[in-house]
Amino acid sequence: MSEPHGVREYLLAFADDEHLMGQQHTEWIGIAPFLEEDLAVSSIGQDELGHAALLYELVLDLEGVEATDPALDALAFGRPSDDYRCCHLVEYTTSDWAEALVRHWVYDTFEAMRWKLVAGSSLPKLASVARKALQEEAFHCRHADALLDKLLAAPEARKRILEALEVVGPLVTGLCEPVEGEAEAIRTGVAAGSTTDLLAPLQQAAEERFGAAPVNSLLDHGQNRRTTRSADFEPLLARMREVFDYDPEAIW
Amino acid sequence: MTRSWATMEDFEAFLDDGGLVEADDPMPDAYRQAVFAFIEMHANSELMGGLTERDWIPKTPGLRHKMAVLAKTQDEIGHGHLLYMVAADLGVKTRVEMLEDLFAGRSRFHNVFHYRAVTWGDQVAIAFLVDAAALISQQAVFKNCSYGPYKRILRRIIAEEGFHMRLGEDRMLRIAEGTDRQRLMFQESLNRWFWPALQLFGPDSESDDVLLRWHIKSERNEVLRDRWVQRFVPMLQSYGFTIPAPDMRWDAVRHRWDVGSIDWEPLKRTLAQGGPDSSRRIREAADNWSRTAWVRAALSDNGAAANGAGNGSTSTGGS
Repeated sequence: MSEPHGVREYLLAFADDEHLMGQQHTEWIGIAPFLEEDLAVSSIGQDELGHAALLYELVLDLEGVEATDPALDALAFGRPSDDYRCCHLVEYTTSDWAEALVRHWVYDTFEAMRWKLVAGSSLPKLASVARKALQEEAFHCRHADALLDKLLAAPEARKRILEALEVVGPLVTGLCEPVEGEAEAIRTGVAAGSTTDLLAPLQQAAEERFGAAPVNSLLDHGQNRRTTRSADFEPLLARMREVFDYDPEAIW
Repeated sequence: MTRSWATMEDFEAFLDDGGLVEADDPMPDAYRQAVFAFIEMHANSELMGGLTERDWIPKTPGLRHKMAVLAKTQDEIGHGHLLYMVAADLGVKTRVEMLEDLFAGRSRFHNVFHYRAVTWGDQVAIAFLVDAAALISQQAVFKNCSYGPYKRILRRIIAEEGFHMRLGEDRMLRIAEGTDRQRLMFQESLNRWFWPALQLFGPDSESDDVLLRWHIKSERNEVLRDRWVQRFVPMLQSYGFTIPAPDMRWDAVRHRWDVGSIDWEPLKRTLAQGGPDSSRRIREAADNWSRTAWVRAALSDNGAAANGAGNGSTSTGGS
């Protein structure tokens, strides 16, 4: 595997996670439990999609392609399924708000740690994106924590949150699972360490948060270095591509 | 400073003089009810507008495009949020009561949000034609609005709506300059949305309309409707789209487009909650509201204000 290919794959995994997580937030706009929460998901969704756009731009930089809207969208929406490198946690489609909230907490807690790994990246643009993203992640984590502080203190809500953790928890290991290309990214200084090493601190944070370890780190989730897609992926991508597919020649 | 008006005549003279009523003023009850109903409908419409658009937000074609749409949506929900607070301060209903009335089908929202957006073209038609109609109405209310808290909120809403309209216009232009399939999609959307958007202004104002007399509205419905027609009919035609109004003609004497006679039956049915998508829309909103009731219950048990409950007092004022 050539060097740029490894870095490309590393950046794609990060970008795809951000893209799909942002996408999942958009599904809650208008039907969140209260208006302030509708506002929060619109805002957090925008941030995550923004991170995805910047990361896809870095991939285009590596390829020497100008980051026009069509080039960016071809990368974000137009790849064959087996070229995506997202984890199954962000593919997971749910209409349960407790599950969405637990995923939001897990994802953003992990994401803040993940950005720190690239804050001193040998790719200057990635380092600068990381600095901006870390500020936003502090807000995202505070948002999820503030809700969980209150909900975990109320018995009925606590029960629902812990049930949601049972569903979301098994997907957490896959979130930390790196792509094959990560080794190249670390060797070339693009990233300071492996996302595998984030699993232990993430588990510890989850234990402190929920009072229960949500994951079994030995579980094999069949992601196979993020090269396989879960059952939720195809319908989700089809939904995201619906307008593009209506007329492949069109610019919207 | 507490003010009061001995008679309705005094109050109306104050309004005619350009006076601004504040939330803690002892306003006549009929005025309070009229202002409340107007703002409640505006707030409901911002919220139901979001629900109309939400079917297509996750399908927005393009990553940066979707970010722009989310920014707009965030503004719209923010408007609903502010408007519910302004309405609640009038002490007629709390925010929760307003939402529950909305989800029970007991209160009103704009006719256009009783229709379903069935294609992406509809989403663009809403962002362009409907938002423009709403903006024209809001500008007219803002110009001479006698209720201070509403007037101040409208200043901000109008500024943001201006950006939204430009976004809608930009998306319409891409389609107008696009492929045959895109243009066909938008023409079909125009066929569906032209008349509902036009009817957003309502039928001609009655001569004794209290909303006009009390300077809640500043211009008659037919004047605003005509402003929208004169602006959008030529624009859409210049991009080669057909206005779905067979009787429409150019009045060479008045130098104006005349859309012909308007069938108001769809509007009457819609406002009686019998619109094309009313029952689905309200049922889904109610289902979603009840499915997350546990969240609001837990937050209010904790004494949190996040669910917006209990803001029913008139004493907060609107300085």
